Amino acid sequence: MQDVRIPIQINENSAEPLYHQIENQLRSLIITGQLGEGTHLPSIREFAGALNCSVITVRRVYQDLENEGLLRTKQGTGTFVAQVEAGERENYRLKAAEEAMQAAVQSGKAVGCTEEEMEVLFREALRANYSK
Amino acid sequence: MVEPIAVQLNGVSKMRKRRVIGPIDLTIPEGYVVAILGHNGSGKSTLLNMLQQIVLPDSGEIIWFGQEKHSGTLPIELRQQIGFVADNSGIEENRMTPQEAADFRSHWYPRWDMKLFKQLITDMDVPSDVKLTKMSKGERRKFEIAAALAARPKLLLLDEPSSGLDPFAWKVMVEQFRDYMEGGDTTILIATHIADEVKRLADYIVLMHRGQVLGMAEKDLVLEQWKEIWYEGDLRPENIPGVVESFQEENGLIRVITTRVSEAQERLELSDHRVLKIRNLELGEVLEYWIAGYAPVQWR
Repeated sequence: MQDVRIPIQINENSAEPLYHQIENQLRSLIITGQLGEGTHLPSIREFAGALNCSVITVRRVYQDLENEGLLRTKQGTGTFVAQVEAGERENYRLKAAEEAMQAAVQSGKAVGCTEEEMEVLFREALRANYSK
Repeated sequence: MVEPIAVQLNGVSKMRKRRVIGPIDLTIPEGYVVAILGHNGSGKSTLLNMLQQIVLPDSGEIIWFGQEKHSGTLPIELRQQIGFVADNSGIEENRMTPQEAADFRSHWYPRWDMKLFKQLITDMDVPSDVKLTKMSKGERRKFEIAAALAARPKLLLLDEPSSGLDPFAWKVMVEQFRDYMEGGDTTILIATHIADEVKRLADYIVLMHRGQVLGMAEKDLVLEQWKEIWYEGDLRPENIPGVVESFQEENGLIRVITTRVSEAQERLELSDHRVLKIRNLELGEVLEYWIAGYAPVQWR
């Protein structure tokens, strides 16, 4: 069985914990379909070696994503990307966007932006990204 | 889930020339690479030597592979499951070539894997027709690593295994140790001073200082816990979460070392202080703080 190389970029100087960085990037690769259903993921030791992190961290990430239904582990054969239903994918997609939006709003609120100011900023961001 | 234990030390101590090592209480779970770190003379080698009964403790007990206590010496079938790469090689095999030494060892280790041995010798570029005593330090070390792995030990003890290795052989060695760990039921204890080795291999770090074990912690958490933040402004460092040390730099910049980077960053940003840089501390710096009493926080 051919293992895929998983394009995960770790930023050591980020405030985001290592395990978060790996988990978020792997989740996004699965949800966006870049890692298709049935893809055989590297063994925990192999992946840890490629990322220069410990097996404990990789195991934690695999377990979390398995609990979310994105991965499944077959005894003896390894860890695979699970089937992500179109509806589920849609849910995950919206959930990811919603979480990012929440975080943005919270940051704005934290530095004292009013609701009106946030709305203006939101519309500007939409214009900047969606209209040609 | 209870993890199987590779080896456990209960109150183990040993009087050495310069200091007392221990009492050490330490539990090494099976299936991990554990790096033993500490200054020269901190007791790392004594610990490894006690784990394979080259040195017998003065007091306390060592339990291998969760086996019931055995009086005095280690039973031979347990002993055969322990591999060792020492800082200085033994003299018994000096007049042998690698293959002769391998034949010799294969009688002692029931799980000896000659195919693996030959492959490792080739991969690491060890001359096969030269007597061990005629080899360079690095070549001899590569033979020792190959022979230790070929014995297929459940517990592999490595005392600065990379000393004398060139960077190519070092890379092969790291890969071989990783491959060897694939099975999941083997354990490696490695005493080293090489930060890159810790980063690439270790799952856990055990820190020794002046004969004591200061603690055992997950490597990833240890390495990402301490951050250096540079910021601009008048916020006093003591008002920033997790600060263990602070420095007034030139141009009104302040540099702090914190163990709670997200909270610290938030605190600075909320009070309009510009953060110029966040840097991960190097392993050496982290260990100095650990030795100074700032133990890493464990996973919750």
